[in-house]
Amino acid sequence: MTSALSNATGGVTPAKSVPLASRERLAYWAFRAPLIFMVLFFAIPMAMTVVFSVFERTMFWMEPGFTLQAYENFFFSARLTNFLNSMKYSLISVVICFILGFPIAVFVRKSIPLVAQHRVVLLFILPFMVSEIIRVFALRPVLQRNGLLNTTLTNLGIIDEPITALLYTHTGVVIGEVMSFLPFIIFSGFLAMEAVPKFIFEVCDDLGVGPWRRFKDVILPLAAPGIFAGSVFIFVNGLGVALLPNILGGAGAVNAGLIATQAISALDFPLAMAVSAIMMATLMTLLWIGHRLFDLTKILTPLS
Amino acid sequence: MTDQTAPAVEVRNLSKSYGDFVALKDVNLTIAAGEYFVLLGPSGGGKTTLLRTIGGFQRPTSGEILLHGKSVGHLPPDKRPTTMVFQAYALFPHMTVLQNVGYGLKVAGLPKAQIAEKVDQALEQVGLKQFEKRKPHELSGGQQQRVQLARAIVLDRDILLLDEPLAALDAQLRKDMCLELKHLQEKVGITFIHVTHNQEEAMTVADRIALIATGDLVEVGRARDIYRAPEKSFTAGFVGENNILKGKALEVNGTAATVDVAGSKLRIDTRGLLVQAGQELILSIRSECVALEHAEGAEPPADGMSIMGSYDESVYLGLTTSHLVRLPDGTEMISRVIADADETLPQNGAPVRLHWKPSDIRMHIQ
Repeated sequence: MTSALSNATGGVTPAKSVPLASRERLAYWAFRAPLIFMVLFFAIPMAMTVVFSVFERTMFWMEPGFTLQAYENFFFSARLTNFLNSMKYSLISVVICFILGFPIAVFVRKSIPLVAQHRVVLLFILPFMVSEIIRVFALRPVLQRNGLLNTTLTNLGIIDEPITALLYTHTGVVIGEVMSFLPFIIFSGFLAMEAVPKFIFEVCDDLGVGPWRRFKDVILPLAAPGIFAGSVFIFVNGLGVALLPNILGGAGAVNAGLIATQAISALDFPLAMAVSAIMMATLMTLLWIGHRLFDLTKILTPLS
Repeated sequence: MTDQTAPAVEVRNLSKSYGDFVALKDVNLTIAAGEYFVLLGPSGGGKTTLLRTIGGFQRPTSGEILLHGKSVGHLPPDKRPTTMVFQAYALFPHMTVLQNVGYGLKVAGLPKAQIAEKVDQALEQVGLKQFEKRKPHELSGGQQQRVQLARAIVLDRDILLLDEPLAALDAQLRKDMCLELKHLQEKVGITFIHVTHNQEEAMTVADRIALIATGDLVEVGRARDIYRAPEKSFTAGFVGENNILKGKALEVNGTAATVDVAGSKLRIDTRGLLVQAGQELILSIRSECVALEHAEGAEPPADGMSIMGSYDESVYLGLTTSHLVRLPDGTEMISRVIADADETLPQNGAPVRLHWKPSDIRMHIQ
């Protein structure tokens, strides 16, 4: 795409004295505008994050310099344990989302008439009509000590004492993450299933391929790029969205996003920048591994 | 293992309905072992439903299916002696040709050496030996269908079901693949059941053809008979290019009836049908059997095998030219001849006479 466009503009160079037609000028900017946008609002801030993370901390801000103080602060404190824990629990969320969500995606693709499929997927967008803060906050009265869940279970005689582990713990955060991010695995799973040809399940019936083999040999390899993309999205959000542990978490039940937010509250900007840089590095590594394994460009061209 | 004397497929009183929609109505059909059998009919007529029910992909609402004399109503597709070749989109995109063809055997748990040998043979048979390392997207549509064929025959099942296997291919390729299918069937000797809506495809490959429309099995017969001597008026309308005429029996005299069609009296063989005077009839005659003649004002001979009309237009089709003639009652008849359209054609609206040999026109009762 890019090369085609630059060729097109390159093609008119011999007639450079003639002003470019407005249409050509538009094409010129159509390609460059997103690039400029991404550089200004993504690449430069990202680079500045890394730069700021080695600046010296002052009382209310920071000043240019080079120190690894912030990284030391991160790696030799409880923050590292918390960060690693939040990776672990994000991973658990990813797995739960996959187990709950991917079968839904397969079901929608396989068993729902083609004309209705997109409408069914739209249903999963409905929760996003409500602000995330409200959605997450609404979990509190459900999960808390004398909340809906505990009251119901007690009244039914299933438990004697309320379960307190549901809120202000990692469990609470995981529940919130699954609730918030489940639609993403359904969307990406739905897209990923596009790579599975129409008659493949019938061929499997014909060859006598059992359900496990069908999943392992056929669905998984074909849908892998999409599943991976959805999983990375959930993982990164689990790591980065401070809101969830802020409302549902508690002592120790934090994630990288909340660590950074807390650092900002404490006016330790270099530390916040360092945490962000580490998160970014983690994400880049993940994407790189994913790309080597599955060729992520395939997500958008499933049947080429 | 299987009863060799029993027919490969026996369909008994098979019906299938989806809610209110009846896809198949009380179908009875016998297909001999080693036969190339074609299910032909318009889209949505129920032929694919019949094929999928034979293959075990759908359950019949009532009736039963016997394969080699054994009822298979309860068996899933992989436990039947059948295997299916689909229209398209049925190869594993992430596997090579070799893996695609061998996957069924791998699932069945065959030892590796045996799989390799069988796959090799199957690829040889469909002529894809040199493409075994390729992935499906690196193959043409025709080659992809051949991979499907190899994947099916490698399973050593005795009945191959083909669901519109050539529908996704372009016309020329379809012609070539038709012949290839026919030769492959002769080589492997197993029963082929092929669904298509394309009559040329059906005529090329079939030993016998069954016509299926609106859930009914209309007619079964050898390809040649279906074309030359259709029993039902639907068959005449679907296969070949038949002129369909409506008429009324005036009198019946032994094996011949006099039928009034648009004011002309035609003499038609009753073919043993029970016809009574006054009965409404359908007549069919293939367009290539109809000859066209200028009728320069002369009184047409009332010979019972010709009809008068006014010339409408000619359509040049290369090999043949179709002359369209309008009968007095508005019915259009076509006379198709192998000739160039250079000769002087009748004027538009000029009176012409259409005539034929008595044996070419056929009578049908609704």
